[in-house]
Amino acid sequence: MKRVDWGLLEALQRVTDAGLASLSEQELLQELLQRISEILDVDTVAILLLEGDALHARAAKGIEEEVEQGVRIPVGLGFAGRIAAERRAITITDVDHADILNPILREKGIRSLLGVPLLVQNRVIGVLHVGSLTPREFSADDRDLLQLAADRAALAIEQTRVYEQRRVAEALQRELLPARIAEGLGVDVAARYLPASAGGLGGDWYDVFPVPDGRVAVVVGDVVGHGVAAAAVMAQLRTALRAYAADGHPPGAVVDRVNGLMWQLGPLAMTTLVYLVLDPAKESLELVSAGHPPALVVSPTGAAAYLASQGGIALGATQTATYRSETFPLPTGATVFVYTDGLVERRGESIDLGLERLRVLAEGFSDVDSLCSSVLENMITDGPADDVAFIAARVPPLADHLTTRWPATPASLATIRHLLRRWLVSRGATDDEAYDIVVACQEACANAVEHAYDSHAAEFEVEALHADGGVTLTVRDRGRWRPPRGQNRGRGIPMMRALVDTVDVRQTPDGTAVVLERNLGKTAA
Amino acid sequence: MTLLANITEEHRGQLAIARLNGEIDASNVNWIESRLRALLTNQSDGLTVDLSHTSYIDSAGIALMFSLAATLRQHRQELRLVVVDGSPIARMVTLTGLDRSVPIHPTLEAAVAEASVAE
Repeated sequence: MKRVDWGLLEALQRVTDAGLASLSEQELLQELLQRISEILDVDTVAILLLEGDALHARAAKGIEEEVEQGVRIPVGLGFAGRIAAERRAITITDVDHADILNPILREKGIRSLLGVPLLVQNRVIGVLHVGSLTPREFSADDRDLLQLAADRAALAIEQTRVYEQRRVAEALQRELLPARIAEGLGVDVAARYLPASAGGLGGDWYDVFPVPDGRVAVVVGDVVGHGVAAAAVMAQLRTALRAYAADGHPPGAVVDRVNGLMWQLGPLAMTTLVYLVLDPAKESLELVSAGHPPALVVSPTGAAAYLASQGGIALGATQTATYRSETFPLPTGATVFVYTDGLVERRGESIDLGLERLRVLAEGFSDVDSLCSSVLENMITDGPADDVAFIAARVPPLADHLTTRWPATPASLATIRHLLRRWLVSRGATDDEAYDIVVACQEACANAVEHAYDSHAAEFEVEALHADGGVTLTVRDRGRWRPPRGQNRGRGIPMMRALVDTVDVRQTPDGTAVVLERNLGKTAA
Repeated sequence: MTLLANITEEHRGQLAIARLNGEIDASNVNWIESRLRALLTNQSDGLTVDLSHTSYIDSAGIALMFSLAATLRQHRQELRLVVVDGSPIARMVTLTGLDRSVPIHPTLEAAVAEASVAE
């Protein structure tokens, strides 16, 4: 009888430990085959994993054809199938006189076989079998040793699978949540997403996107439940909400439609959400709540208070629910903070305590990123039982001298003009003056965007200065000035000259600067 | 770019009507152009673009209207615009001389009535 080589068993232990963290399932299986063949001194090793009600050959050594030909063995039939069905080791001393389903085993000239189930918490996940090309009586020690190896292997396979699933889940979640949220919106935005400590997918999400007229939509939603189902519902609702908003529906109608869609899609998980549309120009926000915890506003002086919204019921609760938006003031310099209930709920504690803890914590913050970091640090003590999403948005105050940088893409134009209009009105420009100046500046910005196509300039700068009863706007890019071309652009320069007092195009070694000046309080020259 | 503007389309007899809600700038002017041109067929008498709910138009948008008008004229069709008197859009339309090239009406109903008479 062969003596057990404890050194080899230790080597197996090392492989299975490594598998928990770094190896892919396929790499792990190959390593296991190698070690097991050494430990038991056998000619063939095969690992079959249970998928549905059949065993699939997933890795093999000495009988690689098993995997190449995609061998499938129904549970209960043949050698491997019986091991899985009976959840016990089976030894075959003479293959010629045994019930063998898989022809490859005979074709390879295997004389004797020993197989054991791969068990995780008493659940069969597959079968591990070894074979000998010479007749061999596998002993009880061989069997115990193989089962020991199988137990380690099963655990490692399972953990590798869980690890891979989690990695895929987290990647999916990352893709679904906007990564670069703060750019080009004209408001400061920060957000965090924290998966439940148990891992896997959750149904919470946040979103932020521009809507017409310089407004910004902010969404936080919570699909009840976990796993792929909740995440799939989340992805559908998130996309649907964006699409309805893009169609130009007012906020209440957007949420009505999302609710209606949930009923068309069939039985879906209950969902709560809050949908905000921030209007920096009007210094207000529209809010639609579908059974969601209240939004928190931190005033420009640092006082924090929840918005007293009437709110509607959760999505998916009734088909006939209608949602109305409520308007609240959002002064320049104020921050609005919305979140999912996982942030304020703790087991065995009233939600009011969590809400008050959050309110007190948020007081005095003006920087959205610091606020989010502080909330993450202080509100979530242990790993969260539920997943958590939250987002903070602030309308930044505008000074007399404003310098902003923008990606040189047409999408920047809308944000620039709304920011500029807000700045002009806050500096005392009338609506007509603001409109004229914004249009003139936009033409200069559109030129800067065009320059980006034929140079390395990926950004441009807009500087606004208010002094001595007039405004000076400077649009700088790193491109070389070129007369506007294309049928849609030829009218830009005459328009600029008609709308402001002076237009000056300056060539500098670094690029081009267009300087526009206009006095406020009298008509343009 | 559909977030900045949306277009509602309607046909009354052989008259195509497009209501343009939102803002027109370099980021969405090509999209708007393709939508408006897709509305036209050989059978159309003309196209009326309702700018009553257009809150912003830049030189690219104005140039699009000039070029649409030219295309329609070639096919003996007519472009009409609805622009609310005294609106910021109206100022741009005057400033660029678009109002001297294309018939402008204060309401959609006025434009439709005028289009029927012209026919």
